[in-house]
Amino acid sequence: MSQNTETVPDNRLVKGDHDFASITKLISDIPQERTPLWWYIAFGVSNIVLAVMIAMVVWLVWEGIGVWGLNNPVGWGWDITNFVWWVGIGHAGTLISAILFLFRQGWRTAINRFAEAMTIFAVMCAGLFPAIHVGRLWTIYWIFPLPNSMQLWPNFNSPLLWDVFAVFTYLVVSTLFWYVGLVPDLATMRDKVKGRISKLVYGTFALGWTGGNRQWQHYEKAYMILAGLATPLVLSVHTIVSFDFAVSIIPGWHTTIFPPYFVAGAVFSGFAMVLSLMIITRKLYGLEDIMTVDHIEKMNIIILVTGNMVGFAYVMEFFIAWYGGVEYEKFAFINRAFGPYAWAYWIMVTCNVVAPQFFWVKKFRRSIALTFALSIVINIGMWFERFVITVTSLAQDFLPSSWGYFSPTYVDVLTYVGTFGLFFTCFLLFLRFLPMVAIAEVKGVMPQADPAYYRSQNGNTKSTDDS
Amino acid sequence: MIMDHHHNTLSDRLTFPEDNRIATGFFAAGILGVVLSLIGMFINTEQFFYSYLTSFTFIASLVLGALFFVMVQHVTRSSWSVVLRRIPETISYQLIWLGLLFIPILFGMEFLYEWTRPERIATDELTRHKLPYLNTPFFIIRNVIYFAVWAALGYWLYKNSIAMDRSGDREIDRRQRIISAPGLLIFAYTVAFASFDWMMSMDSHWFSTMFGVYFFSMSFQAILAVVVVLVLYLFRKGLLTNTINKAHMHDLGALLFGFTVFYAYIAFSQFLLIYYANIPEETLWYYYRFEGSWVFLAYLFLIGRFVIPFVLLIGKKAKTNYRLLMGVSVWIIILQFLEMFWIVMPILHQGSISIHWLDITLLLAFFGISAGLFFRQFAKHSMIPKNDPLLAESLNKH
Repeated sequence: MSQNTETVPDNRLVKGDHDFASITKLISDIPQERTPLWWYIAFGVSNIVLAVMIAMVVWLVWEGIGVWGLNNPVGWGWDITNFVWWVGIGHAGTLISAILFLFRQGWRTAINRFAEAMTIFAVMCAGLFPAIHVGRLWTIYWIFPLPNSMQLWPNFNSPLLWDVFAVFTYLVVSTLFWYVGLVPDLATMRDKVKGRISKLVYGTFALGWTGGNRQWQHYEKAYMILAGLATPLVLSVHTIVSFDFAVSIIPGWHTTIFPPYFVAGAVFSGFAMVLSLMIITRKLYGLEDIMTVDHIEKMNIIILVTGNMVGFAYVMEFFIAWYGGVEYEKFAFINRAFGPYAWAYWIMVTCNVVAPQFFWVKKFRRSIALTFALSIVINIGMWFERFVITVTSLAQDFLPSSWGYFSPTYVDVLTYVGTFGLFFTCFLLFLRFLPMVAIAEVKGVMPQADPAYYRSQNGNTKSTDDS
Repeated sequence: MIMDHHHNTLSDRLTFPEDNRIATGFFAAGILGVVLSLIGMFINTEQFFYSYLTSFTFIASLVLGALFFVMVQHVTRSSWSVVLRRIPETISYQLIWLGLLFIPILFGMEFLYEWTRPERIATDELTRHKLPYLNTPFFIIRNVIYFAVWAALGYWLYKNSIAMDRSGDREIDRRQRIISAPGLLIFAYTVAFASFDWMMSMDSHWFSTMFGVYFFSMSFQAILAVVVVLVLYLFRKGLLTNTINKAHMHDLGALLFGFTVFYAYIAFSQFLLIYYANIPEETLWYYYRFEGSWVFLAYLFLIGRFVIPFVLLIGKKAKTNYRLLMGVSVWIIILQFLEMFWIVMPILHQGSISIHWLDITLLLAFFGISAGLFFRQFAKHSMIPKNDPLLAESLNKH
């Protein structure tokens, strides 16, 4: 009876000659080093851009929604496009931390902290748009079902309200998840930093963590529960965002595949954003041993899969638009591809469906330059997807006499650009002050974490990289 | 790699016992079903074809679900599933026969598909609009393509796996991945369009972009249940008890739990969007399926196919409680048949559930023959891919 008895050696997740101490040092040194010059420059630019966003928001609140390019048929324009785009980007973090955790994918440890931080900041950017779109920002609390003297309640039948709950829940759980994961590493920082004030701050947030057995048991349990809670949230947020469109009877919006299609698109753009940021960061901070090419390749596979899911949805929509035989639906799709917004449609198809097909080839999946370029291309494509969905269906709807065309004003453009200021301001602060890689978790996927490691030869001989 | 306390050799017998007569039993039941159904065909031809389509789609959904399972394991290079992969492999190998089973449907198209009826084409504008797609020759061509593609995928993946048992050639493992990755993409499109053709086009006005995903979500939940049942059957016969352990069953249970939620998510999203928009062309499909006593089945799916398995399987211990897993899985398989019944049958029996004896005999025929073919094939080779490169890792799963 012949039978395979050999084990295929796993690819090391952490490359190079690292042990626990060197991993701790690599990550925890970053916040302690002198702030690099590039950081000041980047932070300065982000602050200026953020200031532009604030100015635009103030101007909008002062003057009214009319400063945007919205017009009579197109009541939703860049605001909703940007909202959906940012929320979509915010999906990768929780997917990486929760779903990949439940699937026991060890490679997530290198990028989860990073992606979770990105998630929180992206959701903040997203939240801005519906908030300012209501026009009267000072009554924004009306979106919550608060008892009041006018017996005024939000419309519980509206997915726009479900969105409020979904996005807030997502923000809260994502933040908790991020913070719980940070606690052991904050304790590491507390033990490493020299300054008294920084010791106090890190120590306060580390909640008295000592790394005892009991603490780890509680920690693991809490992390598992949060992962279980966060997983349905990944689906629910973008599902409800898709409902914003799909429950209506607007041609091009009302289609049943929207929920899983939006979720796939969100993961697609989220992973692209994580890649864009990660490729720069790993270079700047010399983290190539932790965020390896293997990680990039795995993420590119997810991009390929989700990109094809999005492509599948495009095909289904187009086919059913014809098959259903509904006059308006047929028109909506022909109009998307060949009407006044055809340019946007074909940018979308090229960026989202054609571009990721490069990743069928292993060499391209492992090419850092190509990955970086495509990650940007994909996020451009995903922005256009939301733009195409939102605007084309509204601009040419049922009544030809009221057709219009949407052109953004400078306020539209600068508000959108400005959110990058908000995003990068937060992100740079994160890079500067917090351990950007989950130190404790990365150690858990190293060979040294195996209890038998030091009993076998591996402990004595220098291990060599096997990739 | 660290080798302490690990076991790398298989200690179970690897072949299905020859004195096991289960295949014969299933074949006997199947043949009985075939004979009775043939009699029924002359008594009530229309009912025959509806019952036939119900059982066909039931079996097809399982076999296709198995194909997806196998391809996903290859693409993700899963090690956990290696010890039980031969089961779905053998199921998806049955795709080579599936096309033959579809042929009788071609003779019943005028009963099943209103778009084939000349008087319908003459009077109904929408049917005329769909004529370039919904016409008999193109329908046949499409189905030939689907069955050819699936048969090729099922056949290759199985044969390669068997070849690896013999030679242990690692190159074959790489080839399995090369087949599976584009295989999944092809699978998505063919299954979606097949579900449109077989089931969605029965209500020729109705359309839903989600329908393909809906069909897939049911298939995958059901096949996971089938794999659970088969593994637990082998355990009862004392087979593979040292090879497949609690950790493997836990993962299978976790997947079953996950895809129970996925099924509910897809089925409910499709319903909610149609209910909310309330456009007559779309709501009609649900109207017939909620009419009279049919609505009980709809509630049964909500509670039986989502709420009950969700509650029962959520705990960690539940996923390794074999009695519970067996019960939930059998229940899900039954509901998969009933959901096919609920999709197909309200067109023939409007207003109230009506179970004809042909429903039973055709289910017997399909299930008996398919299960018989499965066990016959399963007995021919090793019950696990004994030379898979990831086998040792799979055996050591804990």
